[in-house]
Amino acid sequence: MLTALAALEEAYARRGVPPAASKDRIDGPIDGPIDGRSGARALVVGYVGADMPVELLTAAGVRVFRLTGDPESDFALGDRYLGRGVDPVARSVLARLLAGSFGDLDRIVISHDCEASLRLFYALRELGRVEPGTALPEVYLVDILHLPHRTTARYNRRRIGEFAARLEAWTGRPLDVAGAVAAHDERRRLLAAAAELRRAVPARLTGRQFLAVANAPLPVHEHIVLLERLLAEAGRLDEHAGRRVFLSGSDHDTPHVYEAIEREGHVIVGEDHSFGDLSVTGPVGAGGLGTGGIGTGGLGTGGLGTGGIGTGGTGGLGTGGIGAGGLGTGALGALAEHYHYSGPTAHRATAGERAAYAAAAVRRCRAELFVAYCRAGDEAPAWDFPAQRAALDIPAVLLERQEYGRADLTALRKEHPCPM
Amino acid sequence: MPHVRSRSVTSLATAAEAGRHQREWFADLRRRVAGGEPFALLNADVPHEIFRTMDIPYAVSQWWASLVTAKQRSVHYLELVRQRGYPDYSEQYNSVTLGSAFDPEPEAGPWGGLPKPNIVVGDASGDVTRKIFDIWGHEPGVTFYPLESAAENDIPVNWWELMPHRWEEAVGPARLDLLTAELENLVRFLETTTGRRFDESRFREVMALVNEQEEWNRKTRALIAHARPSPLSVVDSIPSVMLPQWHRGTEWARDIAKRFYEEVRDRVDAGQAACPGERARLMWIGRGLWYDMGFYQRFQEKYGAVFVWSMYLAIAADGYIRYGDDPMRALAARFAAFSDQLYTPPWSSEWYVKEARLHGIDGVVHLVSDDPRGSYFTARALEAAGFPVIEIHADNVDGRTFDDDVVERLGQWLENVVMA
Ligand code: SF4
Ligand code: SF4
Repeated sequence: MLTALAALEEAYARRGVPPAASKDRIDGPIDGPIDGRSGARALVVGYVGADMPVELLTAAGVRVFRLTGDPESDFALGDRYLGRGVDPVARSVLARLLAGSFGDLDRIVISHDCEASLRLFYALRELGRVEPGTALPEVYLVDILHLPHRTTARYNRRRIGEFAARLEAWTGRPLDVAGAVAAHDERRRLLAAAAELRRAVPARLTGRQFLAVANAPLPVHEHIVLLERLLAEAGRLDEHAGRRVFLSGSDHDTPHVYEAIEREGHVIVGEDHSFGDLSVTGPVGAGGLGTGGIGTGGLGTGGLGTGGIGTGGTGGLGTGGIGAGGLGTGALGALAEHYHYSGPTAHRATAGERAAYAAAAVRRCRAELFVAYCRAGDEAPAWDFPAQRAALDIPAVLLERQEYGRADLTALRKEHPCPM
Repeated sequence: MPHVRSRSVTSLATAAEAGRHQREWFADLRRRVAGGEPFALLNADVPHEIFRTMDIPYAVSQWWASLVTAKQRSVHYLELVRQRGYPDYSEQYNSVTLGSAFDPEPEAGPWGGLPKPNIVVGDASGDVTRKIFDIWGHEPGVTFYPLESAAENDIPVNWWELMPHRWEEAVGPARLDLLTAELENLVRFLETTTGRRFDESRFREVMALVNEQEEWNRKTRALIAHARPSPLSVVDSIPSVMLPQWHRGTEWARDIAKRFYEEVRDRVDAGQAACPGERARLMWIGRGLWYDMGFYQRFQEKYGAVFVWSMYLAIAADGYIRYGDDPMRALAARFAAFSDQLYTPPWSSEWYVKEARLHGIDGVVHLVSDDPRGSYFTARALEAAGFPVIEIHADNVDGRTFDDDVVERLGQWLENVVMA
């Protein structure tokens, strides 16, 4: 039998493709027929962006996976529709959508986690309007915002409620939010433990391996099973010496840059983007920014789950919804708070927040070199670098305006890697 | 950097008066700030009307950036940004102004230099704006008040018809609730930090003055759209609209908008023309080319091609007017989706087509810089409606990005496409 790590890596190699239908109650095909037709398959939903409340997608029983780009395939069409000033990841995702690389998608949901995602949403919405020949699926925006204020909290709560209602309308079924949150919390708990394996000295996972472990496109329950096995097999994992690197900056939706850096003999033991450590948060309801701990809290009070739109059940969305339940009550309220304070990503946090996070994270993973990687078209991380460098007591290197999927490593090869 | 830069020739009395007023206003502003009054630096999309109401001196970041650029000093300020370790290739429109905060000799700046603000206000649009203002907020004595930048799923296309009275429908309640609450909080913040009062009846007066001013611009737009040949080019209309725009809510701004209208009407009545040999009416899409305003007149003599349209008068005519009994919500409606009007399809694309038709446009010159979104869809919509479009790629405040062959390319396009 494959080791769990090998199985996760194999799954990761299939990223950007819908997970196979499973019998799993949470993620698999929904029990009942869609639209009253029997034998209808579960909706397949591709999502974009770090701020997607994936719990709601799980709760809706759809088959869901994160859309990722591919630096090796042509994205000229993405350039055309989005312009070349946008993060190439979004351009690549758009090109792949137009090429049908993601298989048959029923819906696309996009979060406003960065400017590139928002522009991707606008482009898809407009293509659907003016070029129906592109035959793109319906696209929906989940507008979660991040200013640390109550005005924003209230707005997010409303948007989460609207998204839940939209999902119920799509599937015709009530959401099992509590069950989905519990499953994702369990996955988070296991991912946090896997992150500790990478932080060990010497590291028991490479950065490249951790990307695979965290982003294997599996239904939550299948992912949980493999993560449990990975932890059980931890004693048999290889040890990885090499200079310990903290990778800051742009998102990495593919392993290319990790592979390039680790080929030089480094090990990436931590990072601050949404495909890596930033996806390893505390549980929903724990009150904001958890750092991979095994939290308390859990769901908050009350919750959804019973009844729902269209089924005439009891309670349902209305009670947890906007207005009625107030800001923080119920599973939806807890989710809204969780995503409000997720991060700190380069695109939504301030330079000061990013620097504070970097200083703590670098200590925690005992990194020896800090590498800020900024993709051309993704300018936010470059603004963080001066404050990050000032907050660190290890050498820091800035790689600016990097091509998608590549890293110019000359600066890392210098003996004193501090170019400024 | 070999560039031939030219000054524009303007002939309008209101443009000259607006320029004179701007200098006097700025000198007075410097006096007031030197005398101990508070000073706010605001992003263009921020509701200035609140500061007007409370009589808090303010300046607009983009106005300052355009002045600095016209004085050929933008590269100097970008170098100051770079010296602090920040990127000098990212959101130059705001970072140029940030650079002036880092200037060791601020008084050497244009017009005696920008005074140091106590308050900066900007919205969290894109990935970088909030970071830039937040960095500014860490300068001693400066407080940054951020506003969100929210997005909407479904919007009615015909915003320019809905905005004056039915803005609730156009913008949507989620964004309006959010910005209204943020503005109520802003008032409290300003009351507390500056000790000034927010007077509701004064606020209503300011709101009414703004609507009056923009109504005059609306009438002027109609005159220019229908007059043949065009009574003036964008070189005349931009200062006559934009300088008063930064003073909206004052009687001076309302009155000069009226005089601008009268001056244009007199020109039309007298049969005066920007270019008596007018053969082609051009539309300029994008921000003003502040480092080379003479550019716009360069095609008159040889080709009889006149730039009759820029967004500045047109957005004044369509983008600001908001009526309604709740002035704070009406103010939120002015700004909750302001830039969508110009940059987000389908709003932007359909509006440019509407304007091109209204003005009898023969050709469209589209300045594509990296940050505004929706460029492809704008060009596509115009071309689909039968308007030839040529794109120039450059940043509007960073003259280093402007290619030398643009004038030649444009001339060929005029000969071979527009006038063929
Ligand atoms: S290029 Fe930029 S810097 Fe040089 S003069 Fe023109 S504007 Fe000023
Ligand atoms: S171009 Fe010829 S016609 Fe047009 S204004 Fe200049 S001189 Fe007069």
